[in-house]
Amino acid sequence: MATVTVRRRELDFWEKTYVKEVGRGLAITFRQLTKNLLTREDVATREYPEVRRKYPERFRGRHRLMRREDGTVRCVACMLCSTACPANCIHIVAGEHDDDRVEKYPVSFEIDLLVCIYCGFCEEACPCDAIRMDSGKHPLPSFTRDMQRIRKHQLLEEGGLSVAEQGGRSK
Amino acid sequence: MLMVILAALLKFAAIVLGFVMVLATLLTLIERKQSALMQNRTGPNRAFVFGKNPLSAFVGQLIADPVKVLLKETFDPPHADTWLHRLAPGLAFIPALLMWVVIPFGPGPVPGAEGDNFFLMADLDAGVLVVFAIASLSVYGSTLGAWASRSAFSLLGGLRTAAQMVSYEVTLGLNLVGIFMIYGSLNLNDIIWAQAGYDAATGFQNAYFLGFIPKWGIITQPFAFIFFLAASIAETKRAPFDLPEAESELAAGYFTEYSSMGFAVFSLGEFIGIVVVAALGATMFLGGWHIPGLPIELTAAGQPVIASLATWLSVAAFLFKVVLLVLLQMTIRWTLPRFRYDQLMHLGWVYLLPLSLANVAITAFVLFLTR
Amino acid sequence: MPTLKIDGREVTVERGTTILDAARKVGIDIPTFCYHPGLTKPANCRMCLVDTNKAPKPTPACYAECMDDMEVSTQSPEIVKTRKAVLEFILLNHPVDCPICDQAGECVLQDHYFKYSATPSRLAHKKVHKPKVKRLGPDVVLDAERCILCTRCIRFCDEVAKETQLEIVNRGEHSEITTFPGKQLDNPYAGNTVDICPVGALTSVDFRFRTRVWMLQSSDGVCPECSRGCKTRTDVFENVPRRTKPLHNPRVNDWWMCDEGRLAYRDYQALPRMEGPAAQVEGKRRVVTNVEAIEAAALELGAVAQRQKIGVVATPWFTNEDAWLVAELLRGPLAGARIYLGGRADGTADEILRMADKNPNRAGVEAIFEAAGLKAAPLSALDTAGLEALLVFGDQHALDEAGLEKLERVPRRVVVSAFQTPLWKMATTFLPARTHFEKVGTFTNFEGMVQRLEQAVNAAASCKSYGYYAMKLAELMGHTISFVRPEDVFAEVARTVPGFAGMTWQGLAPYGMKLGEGVAPAEPPTLPQAAPPAAPTEA
Ligand code: SF4
Ligand code: SF4
Ligand code: SF4
Ligand code: SF4
Ligand code: FES
Repeated sequence: MATVTVRRRELDFWEKTYVKEVGRGLAITFRQLTKNLLTREDVATREYPEVRRKYPERFRGRHRLMRREDGTVRCVACMLCSTACPANCIHIVAGEHDDDRVEKYPVSFEIDLLVCIYCGFCEEACPCDAIRMDSGKHPLPSFTRDMQRIRKHQLLEEGGLSVAEQGGRSK
Repeated sequence: MLMVILAALLKFAAIVLGFVMVLATLLTLIERKQSALMQNRTGPNRAFVFGKNPLSAFVGQLIADPVKVLLKETFDPPHADTWLHRLAPGLAFIPALLMWVVIPFGPGPVPGAEGDNFFLMADLDAGVLVVFAIASLSVYGSTLGAWASRSAFSLLGGLRTAAQMVSYEVTLGLNLVGIFMIYGSLNLNDIIWAQAGYDAATGFQNAYFLGFIPKWGIITQPFAFIFFLAASIAETKRAPFDLPEAESELAAGYFTEYSSMGFAVFSLGEFIGIVVVAALGATMFLGGWHIPGLPIELTAAGQPVIASLATWLSVAAFLFKVVLLVLLQMTIRWTLPRFRYDQLMHLGWVYLLPLSLANVAITAFVLFLTR
Repeated sequence: MPTLKIDGREVTVERGTTILDAARKVGIDIPTFCYHPGLTKPANCRMCLVDTNKAPKPTPACYAECMDDMEVSTQSPEIVKTRKAVLEFILLNHPVDCPICDQAGECVLQDHYFKYSATPSRLAHKKVHKPKVKRLGPDVVLDAERCILCTRCIRFCDEVAKETQLEIVNRGEHSEITTFPGKQLDNPYAGNTVDICPVGALTSVDFRFRTRVWMLQSSDGVCPECSRGCKTRTDVFENVPRRTKPLHNPRVNDWWMCDEGRLAYRDYQALPRMEGPAAQVEGKRRVVTNVEAIEAAALELGAVAQRQKIGVVATPWFTNEDAWLVAELLRGPLAGARIYLGGRADGTADEILRMADKNPNRAGVEAIFEAAGLKAAPLSALDTAGLEALLVFGDQHALDEAGLEKLERVPRRVVVSAFQTPLWKMATTFLPARTHFEKVGTFTNFEGMVQRLEQAVNAAASCKSYGYYAMKLAELMGHTISFVRPEDVFAEVARTVPGFAGMTWQGLAPYGMKLGEGVAPAEPPTLPQAAPPAAPTEA
């Protein structure tokens, strides 16, 4: 293993006594204090609920489930999203659909937002453009843990229409 | 006799409730505001009481804090010594208040003259010693609270408090020795008069060096002032000496297990401690109520109007100096990072103590030569 | 003994061996669909085509026999192209809706496609649509679109289940699997068709859509539902068994298992489980800790000075290790107690796999008890007259009302069981046991095959095996035996019980050993060949 010796700068006498450096530190903080007191120029705080940052377009927010043209949920309960999910927070119960062509649909679809890390793997994995994270919304605070487990109907409330070709190329 | 005691109590109440408590309460908020601005933040600004303006938020916060603290559950940790646990905040709080007894707020009659100083509750010849005696007591509050909590964090915090207080008290005391020697008294009142240039033998002579520099402790004992400042911050357990409550290591140190009023009393006690230390510093090193340029004779002048005007101006000057030192302490607290524990001890015993001793020796030597 | 060369490697095989088997013997993998080692070979899928010097055209390796001086190529450019063509043909009308197909992840077609083709479809027309949800029988659903017409399912019914129920109808791309008119796929082995279907055409109603197969964690086990003891695999998701599949064991069940055993795991989920140990505290039954309950049990049993006034009900659901530890208890501190061997009542049997004795380990328990000098009467001969204490193991006993009443008349009743049964209700001290999904151990089947059981799911901390309780009771009653791992107990079984002599824990893998066999044969006698690794449904 190569050894690198980093030589530290020798401190001069006044630095060694602390006094000089303490004084310099005080000068900096005092300068900031007076400056912010008078002009608030450097204050970085945003007054959150009133002043909101504009999120970039690709911001990953709360999930939503998209709908087909007939209004039904696009999700086919393939569980690829829950497979991809590194936090294991997507819980899907699949059920038999009346329509033979559709075959499978999610009877329940829950995401535990407290566990979710907003990585976006789920929307990446979905072959049906069914789950998206483009609602632009934060998870909201709540009084119970259970309220953070958002259900299918909540996910669908945000959901819009998607006309992407289901299952990729179809002939 | 009864009247004297009553008068003293009244004065005490007036000072404590009218100045110390108010200042300490304000400090809890000012500190948050100040640190926020120093760090480019805004600090608390949401507790509006009348309209949405900063003043309203400021006042609202002052109301909200105590209300919140009062409404919290008082929690005694399991297996804690409940009695001691509840007693400890008081033990920490009361000594901090008691110290105000010997601190003169304003000028009284010239030393030696008839009459008492209206702005002083107890004119004791051993005034400084009383301050130290009381200051040493406050360590019991912290250590007892820590021990009674039955928590490892608390206990460690308590141990650190004890060690730190003992170490720095020595320095704190030694740095005042030079002052005693120069001004020839232990009585705080006399020390201020001496700083103001009063000489018992020759009257109001020799008031300034070079005609304009006041003979304050900070001028005659500059090193002692710096050491005193360092030691006093250590005594109040604030950064960079806040190891007893180092939140990154010990949660909240000795008062980890306190909630509600217990917690509030502890932290209020700390803020009062800051004010006390500032008052002591102002008294010993900044000439107390002395205003440079204002002839001190005026306070004892024949005309009551001029005398009382000069007197109240002096009181204001004292309070101003105290606030200044408090703000300095807080700026230091938000500027310097915490020492490591070994550095703290090293600084105290290896640098500050010998340097203070040297300072005393040199002062004595110089005095010996000049007198 | 023809000697031939496959991809340049020389191999000598028995006369009559197929090229496929010969290739697998030297570790060359030839892809297959319709071939299954347990069925006849129709050679209809053409996936296994190889080039030989003995025929002008590619030859199906699964069917063609080896000849002397044969030179086989499984990798020639010709064959690579042929495979692509075969896959393209099979996939022509295949829906390729893998994300919603239950087979995805264990699909032979998926695997072969990625390995041998991986080219997109060139089909310019609409795919042929066929029924997607066609119920063939009580537990089997057909997706005709996904079917590749390999006929494995048909052959299984004809050849193994011996009931002709399935057939192909229509022609060309409209060909479709269906049941004979008026028939259903309802033979007691129908579930195996789902296992051997190489694609997602046949799915089990029970498992369909429940989870995705890649989320399952598998562990080997032994089916406890009858004394055949088929080797099985339990697939678990989130600590709950989701399905049972047979594993290949040529000495017990070949590749198959019956539907009763396959679906039995559901019964254990339906039954209310008891996880709280209970004991008498101040005259009332309370939930206590495990240690307290064991102590209470020891006190209850110890209070009866005359051991012959203690009745013990053992169960053929003991693993061999459990049985040995219980035997220690009965031989030592409880020597002289009246012993009964319970278990479930007899059920249907057939010529294929199912046995009448619906308990997994009667043979093992009997052998071990006999070696310990214990005499166990059948539970039908239950006589509780004069008994002062009762120690009942297990919850699956053929006990009628009268039998239960008889038991209840005994004043002290220590019950060790996993589920909430009438026995649990009557217990004065209750010790929660583990199910066979939660245990490690061995079962001995009716003909003495000893097979290993892996732990499939985690048990609640309070639930312990029967053997553990026997060990702890014996210890409290003055007979210290101490084992930590079931392996160690098994070593003791092998040392002390004659039939087990010479057996080792490791030696039981993979196919088990027969009582009295001593040393397992290096090569299991009837094994045709190792199952191909790429096709888990066959294994
Ligand atoms: S964003 Fe990531 S963590 Fe959250 S649900 Fe999707 S895959 Fe899971
Ligand atoms: S990946 Fe898409 S279609 Fe599949 S379960 Fe998730 S949301 Fe539904
Ligand atoms: S049978 Fe296989 S290839 Fe066909 S859809 Fe199912 S997983 Fe995909
Ligand atoms: S259903 Fe499955 S096993 Fe039966 S023919 Fe079709 S693909 Fe083969
Ligand atoms: S033709 Fe040989 S495996 Fe199907």
